[in-house]
Amino acid sequence: MTAKLSSLERSERRLGIALLAPAFALLAGVVLYPIFTLIRTSFSENKLTEPWLAKPWIGFENYAKAMGDERLWEATWHTLLYVIVTVPGAVALGLGLALLANQPFRVKWPVRLGLLLPWALPLVFAGLIFRWFFEYQQGLVNNALIWIGLSPVNWLTQEGPAFFAICVAIIWKTSSFAALVLLAGLQTIPKSLYEAAEVDGASKWQQFWEITLPMLKPAIIVALIFRTITAIQTFDIPKAMTDGGPGNATETLAMYIHKTTIDSLDFGYGSTLAVLMFIASAILTSIYLRHTRRDPSAGRH
Amino acid sequence: MRERRVAAVTIRKVRKVFGKVEVIHGVDLTFQDGEFVVLVGPSGCGKSTLLRMIAGLESVTDGEIDIGGVVVNDLAPRDRDIAMVFQDYALYPHKSVYDNMGFGLKMRGASPSEIADRVKEAADVLQIGHLLDRRPGQLSGGQRQRVAMGRAIVRRPRVFLFDEPLSNLDAQLRAEVRIEIKKLHQRFGTTIVYVTHDQVEAMTLADRIAVLRGGVLEQFATPDDIYNKPASKFVAGFMGSPPMSFARLTASADGKTLAMPSGTVLPARGGLVMGGLSGGKSYDAGFRPEHVKLGADALPGAVNTTARVEILEPLGAETLALLTVGGAVLTGRFPPQAGVKSGDEVTISLGAADMHLFDTETGRALVA
Repeated sequence: MTAKLSSLERSERRLGIALLAPAFALLAGVVLYPIFTLIRTSFSENKLTEPWLAKPWIGFENYAKAMGDERLWEATWHTLLYVIVTVPGAVALGLGLALLANQPFRVKWPVRLGLLLPWALPLVFAGLIFRWFFEYQQGLVNNALIWIGLSPVNWLTQEGPAFFAICVAIIWKTSSFAALVLLAGLQTIPKSLYEAAEVDGASKWQQFWEITLPMLKPAIIVALIFRTITAIQTFDIPKAMTDGGPGNATETLAMYIHKTTIDSLDFGYGSTLAVLMFIASAILTSIYLRHTRRDPSAGRH
Repeated sequence: MRERRVAAVTIRKVRKVFGKVEVIHGVDLTFQDGEFVVLVGPSGCGKSTLLRMIAGLESVTDGEIDIGGVVVNDLAPRDRDIAMVFQDYALYPHKSVYDNMGFGLKMRGASPSEIADRVKEAADVLQIGHLLDRRPGQLSGGQRQRVAMGRAIVRRPRVFLFDEPLSNLDAQLRAEVRIEIKKLHQRFGTTIVYVTHDQVEAMTLADRIAVLRGGVLEQFATPDDIYNKPASKFVAGFMGSPPMSFARLTASADGKTLAMPSGTVLPARGGLVMGGLSGGKSYDAGFRPEHVKLGADALPGAVNTTARVEILEPLGAETLALLTVGGAVLTGRFPPQAGVKSGDEVTISLGAADMHLFDTETGRALVA
């Protein structure tokens, strides 16, 4: 039951709707409509290579095919590995960088610039830079190995080393975003808490464990969520470094979708894969969000 | 049985420089064992900086700070055997009240049973036993303040440091907690150094008050002496509510009387004449409101004069009157139902015998 609105309240409400309408229209055009089309396409046979087939509605056939698609499961497994390794890796490295940047430097801009630079760099660039780092003959890494007396490694053409090299590149590239989020969190911790802890007798290490880490928990969770969402979509860096090789050993979900849709021009099956990936990341994100809502210390000072 | 752990604190020629700004200019102070000392002054006078130097949260640029016979300049806060109550309480928001209070002991490696005993004891004293499981976010301002004090008490330090602990409380609560703090001092007898900008807190709590201004010590004395024998015009005007009011007077040629701009003549106190008022020189005369009374001959040794009532502030038990007296503006304490109105011309008694005189240039008091 709604209370009767006065004319003032009604005109306020009309104004509110009018102000929101452009944003809604834009969202509908660039987000809702493509998602709707994506879902519709996923239920059809739609191959540009076989245009004579038209685009027949085939129901769940694509989905059934996906369940039995070994390459899909491999790509899913690779993506999961990237998430498991690079998300905590980037947040841990980001925490270190944030702690460093939070030190009272006399000149702050070099530190801030150092933090922002990897973040501002396009992902493909980062991939290309690290591809060169891990290159067999001229790469920095192998040169360093030779210099300290070890034999060079064929980084990008072996399954394990390739995965390792890609993880290093992803962690380097994404840790600066985590660092920015965590630095903002660090700056909200009142200085007097550290002074109180200092008087209470806590060492610097104890202050970190007893104050910094628990107070930073909400920011860490935010960094983890954002990092996870982007990690599920990992594409550019492995694309630039190995293009999924050797074989399909470093191929991610996003790369497989790209190959299916753009390289093989199978829009129907590609859309199905995209919908599945969308569902998986939605589930993962909602688990995180539920956790933050349950945490009593999150969001309170 | 609780042992009484106290320490004297000595501050020797302490200076503090931030960058190029010197905020404390060589302060000397000695606090006795178990003394309650209040550092008071307007904002920016260096009182908090001085306290933080005692705590070890700020380095000492020059001079020495001595706690219990040990120079602590180079000791970390945790090694100084002090506890501090912060202005914003600085409670750990993610820890329960119990863990907040026990944190200092835990960091010092006390056993869980000892922590439990001491936290319970302190909680009983402060009547916060029912709050031990809560987090600071679930407490009222007054409760947080108690927890902050509890955290200090639990440690049983030799010196308590309070940094404007009541400034975030409302007026009524402030008066209650003030009494609480005084009780705590009577119970534990620990040396307390307490910073405030509120002269009422300073007067009510302190054994001795140190009045600071611009990084310089103006006066260090008992509340009684601060009130009755202020060493400078600044101290006289800062301490007391309502504050002392001032009039510019000119000494007669023989230095035995002082004249107001209107011509009203006040006799100088005997001692002041001996001390030597220079004939013809101007002085700032200070009158406490209680020495400006309604009616003729209302005070011993008073001079009667006329005054114009500008503003009346009834307080219930008394009425404060802002008066124009012979070209000066003075505050007087009038009886509650005096029957005067703003704009009235009234006769007042000016307590010449209780008048304070200050040098117009240095602001120092002329000692009678």
